[in-house]
This record gives sequence, C-alpha cells and structure tokens, in this order.
Amino acid sequence: MSLKSKIIFLVCFVGLGIALNFFLNSYIQALAISFMINSIMAMSLNFITGVANQFSLGSAGFVAVGAYTSAVLTKEVFNDQWYFIPLTALIGACVAAFAGYLVSLPSFKLKGDYLAIVTLGFAEIVRVIFLNWNHVGGPRGYNAIVKWPNFTMAYLFTGAAVLITLYVLYSLKISWFGRNLWALNEDEIAAEVMGTPIAKNKRTAFLISSFFGGLAGGFYAHNMGYISPGSFGFLLSVQVLIITVLGGLGSISGSIIASIILTVLPELLRSLPTKVDVRMIVFPILLILMMIVRPEGLFGKKEIWTFFKKEGRS
Amino acid sequence: MQEFLQHTLNGLSTGSIYALVALGYTMVYGILQMINFAHSEIYMLGAFAVYYVARFFGLNTPSTLNFIIGLLSAIVACGLVGFAVERFAYKPLRKTDKLNVLITAIGVSILFQFGGQIIFGADPKSFPDLIENTELFNFLEIPFNVVDLLIYGVTFASLIALTYLVNYTQRGRAMRAVSTKPDAAKLMGINNDSIISFTFVVGSVLAGIGAFLVATKYPKIDPMMGARIGMGAFVAAVFGGIGNLPGAVLGGYLLGLGECYLIGYGASTFREALSFFILILILLVKPNGLLGKTAKEKI
Repeated sequence: MSLKSKIIFLVCFVGLGIALNFFLNSYIQALAISFMINSIMAMSLNFITGVANQFSLGSAGFVAVGAYTSAVLTKEVFNDQWYFIPLTALIGACVAAFAGYLVSLPSFKLKGDYLAIVTLGFAEIVRVIFLNWNHVGGPRGYNAIVKWPNFTMAYLFTGAAVLITLYVLYSLKISWFGRNLWALNEDEIAAEVMGTPIAKNKRTAFLISSFFGGLAGGFYAHNMGYISPGSFGFLLSVQVLIITVLGGLGSISGSIIASIILTVLPELLRSLPTKVDVRMIVFPILLILMMIVRPEGLFGKKEIWTFFKKEGRS
Repeated sequence: MQEFLQHTLNGLSTGSIYALVALGYTMVYGILQMINFAHSEIYMLGAFAVYYVARFFGLNTPSTLNFIIGLLSAIVACGLVGFAVERFAYKPLRKTDKLNVLITAIGVSILFQFGGQIIFGADPKSFPDLIENTELFNFLEIPFNVVDLLIYGVTFASLIALTYLVNYTQRGRAMRAVSTKPDAAKLMGINNDSIISFTFVVGSVLAGIGAFLVATKYPKIDPMMGARIGMGAFVAAVFGGIGNLPGAVLGGYLLGLGECYLIGYGASTFREALSFFILILILLVKPNGLLGKTAKEKI
C-alpha cells in the first residue's frame, strides 16, 4: 500500500466515524461497536485455533482478565478519565497475555481434546475467582466503568484496534513464524522432525492470541460500562468459537465477515416471540448445518482479498 | 467424626451420579475418540421424558409398577435421542476432522439446552414421586435411604455390565476393533455404523438411568440440569482416563468426595473451580488421566 492510499484510507476511516455519528441511531451504533469487539475476539481465537491448530475453549477467560484489569485500572489509578482507556486496555491485554502464557505451559504435553478441556477449565477458574473476589464486586459485577464520551471516539479507537489486530495477526500468519505454525497445524511430528521448536511456537502463539483476547476484553468493559462474572461464561467462548468457525479456521479476515453476520443476524431475529435468547437457538443450528455442509467455514484458510486478485497473479 | 462420615456419604452419592454419567462419556470416547458434549443434554431429556410420561398417565404415587414405567420411559427416550443425535449430527462427519465433530457436539448441546428452555420452559418442574424414599437402616446415626442405595447399586451394576460387554462378548470385541482400527474392522466384516450407533445408544441409556435416579433423589428438574452435572461428569471421565471404564467410576467418586468435603468445610463458592483445578494438576502429571493408557503415537 502506497503512502497516498494510506492517507486516503485514514481520512475515510476518520470521516466515516464522524459521519456515522450523525447519520446512525444509537441502536445501530451500539451494534457496530459490539461487532468490532466480537471480531477482535474471533481473530484472537482464530490465531490459536485456526492457524496454530491448538483447540481452545477458553477465550472467555482471557477476555475476562483483560476486561477486569482495564476496568479496575481506569477506576482506581486513572480517575475515570476516558482518554486513558486505550492505555488500560493495553495493560489488560498484557495481563491476559501473561495468563495465556501460564495456560500454555502445559500445552506442550496436551493436545486436542485434553487441551480444549484445560483451556475451558482455565476460563472457569478465572470466572470463579472473579465471582469470589469481593473487591471487584463478586457476583454483583463491577459497574460504573468509564465509557467512551461519544460514538466517534468509540468507533475510532475500537476500529483502530480491529485494524491493528487484523494487520498484526495477518502479518504473523504469513511470516516465518506463521509458516512454522502452519507446519504444526498440518503435521506436528513432521514439523518437529524438520526442527521447528514446537513447544516454544505453541507458547508464543498462545501469548499472542491471549493478548488480543485481553484487548477485546478491555474494549468490551468500556463499551458496556458494566461487567460481571456471568458475562464471561462458557457461552461466550462458544459464541467466539462459532464466529471463528463460520469465518473459516485460518482465515483472519473471514472472522470479521463472520462477526458482522453473527452480530446482525440475532438482532433481526429479536422480534420473534420467545423469552429465551434467540441467538442460542440460531447459533447452534447454524453451527451444526455448517459442519455438515461446509466444514471449512465461509473462507476456508484464505483471506478475503485473495478472492479479488486476478487469476495467475497469486 | 459424625460430620466427616456424613460428608463422605454425600460425596459417595454425588460421586455415583458423576460416575454414571461419566461412564456414558467414556463409552463414546472409547469408540469414536470424541467428547460427546451432548451427553449431559441427553441426560436432561431423560428426566423430562419421565416427567411428561408420568403426567400423561397420571402416575404420581410411589409403587413398583410406576417406578418401572418411569425407568423404562427414561431408557427408551434417551436411547432414541442418542440414536437420532448420532445419526443426524455425527454420522455425516465420520470422515472429517475430529475438531469438526467436537464443534458439532457443542452445537447440539447448546441447541438442546436452549431449545429445552423454549419447549419445556426455563422454570424448574417438580419430578413425580415414583418410589418411596424410606430409610432402610441406620449406621452410626447416618441414615441410608432406598434411593441412595439404588444409585450405588446401579453404578456398580453398570460398571460390571459394561466391562463384561466390552471385554467378553462378540459385540464388545467388535467395539474394540472399531475403536482401534476402523478401516481394518470393516474388512473383518464388522458393520462400523451399527456398532457406533449401538455404543451411542448404550451410553445414552446410562444417562437416562442416571437422570431418573437423580431426579428421584432431588425432585426438581430444569433444562439446565444437564449442564450443571455434565461438566463435573466429564471432568471425572478425563480425571480417571477417558475411554477407561473403571477410571470413569474412580474419577467420579474422587471428584464427588472432593466437592462434598469442600462444600462441607466452607469454600462452597469455589466448588465449580475445584474440579477443573484438580483436573489441570492431574493432566500435568499424568496427561492421560489416572488409569488411562499412554499410547505411543506412531508415525
């Protein structure tokens, strides 16, 4: 991308934010922000599960760590000033990355189902710790977290976080390190024979994935203004997993498209007369059908832009 | 001492329930190497099947006949649901990646949980009283009830029956063959699909029996009851070494005892984390569970 197109892109990005602030009603604005946060979560899971083939059911745990860290920091250290939100979200992401590192320690011994259960267990343990931690509200949750002052700010910072996540994870995917992870994904033993440091690579992949999970958590906390241990249960992990699988495991940009679909679709169904959350009926049906009809997801392992390239120029 | 005994007894009772459900998990894992997340929802459906059958026939008095009708309806309903889930959700994925099957299983599980909330309603229902829960005898002032003893008995009977089925019958041999080498099993004239269906039905029937006994003991049922017990049962199965029948029972009892001591001596809010905490520790030391075999991976 040349400098000129970069500037044009940046102007469009900022201009869109200011324009949308006036043209959209607050309902659609809230949807847009929640779509962005979902897509960060999905991309982070996609890196560890899609690219590195380490099946994780614990994304909710990393999100929770990031969300609580960021929320507590803004309130107790930074005096509820909204312009510190990006900083605290980053710190939250670092703490989540540390948690991810801890989880990754046993991961060189475990694989497949066992790893899935350890990550699921980690998320549950995190949830129970917050549930019992009275200083952060315990089961009542942590409320009155400082929010973005207006939609434009929320849009700009969350959108920037989405773009950075996409850029970093995509660059990592096509980098030397990413190739190592692909090798791991295809055949672990062969990769080890070829001399790739498997345990170290898995650990680094976990670290990166949980960093972005925590980042999403920070933005989630400041978008909602209220977090409770109940919001970070197994269902959140499953939702993120569904988005990732729909977009295609291994397709970082696919996760963004899938999170648009899965954020908007349940809202369209909200008018149905049920007391239960309709999402939890539609998502699993979609998931089961997709696994039967198109198990590789919408985009498989490809990125969106490869579909627009001309033939023979790949 | 009295208190300790009481906690031990509660632990054994909870553990038996975990063990019964864990046996189903382990059966399916043993043959397909997949975690059947929907197992705990089949368990939930079993309890609701009994509830609706009893309401339809107006059974509400404790008697042997009613008990048998209730047990049979749980068995039939769970067997049918287990068969259907395997046929429509898992069978089309037989050839694909294991990860896809796991994801489908999570999907089926969530679908049943929330579908159940729509169809049955999210509020708890009171389970009919089909057997008199009288006190049989007293040991050191601790009462032993009929239902408790029934749960212990059924757990051990199923463990023995399943061990016999898997190790000493022709069908069990076929199951082991399908589990070790599906392609070679096919060449030996084994109908893989029917063996896998059979395993699913057996596992689901166990869940149904477990659901019936648990609902008789704690007569409140709701669509999330499976999710509450499922995670514990599953941890118990992994704890003992998933795919290993005695391991599932051992894991169930250890977990049940651990939870009841934890609840009994304070710290009840950490109950849900305990099972996972123990699990992670165990997996760090023995990645294949307590009794699981360490399989060498062949290239």
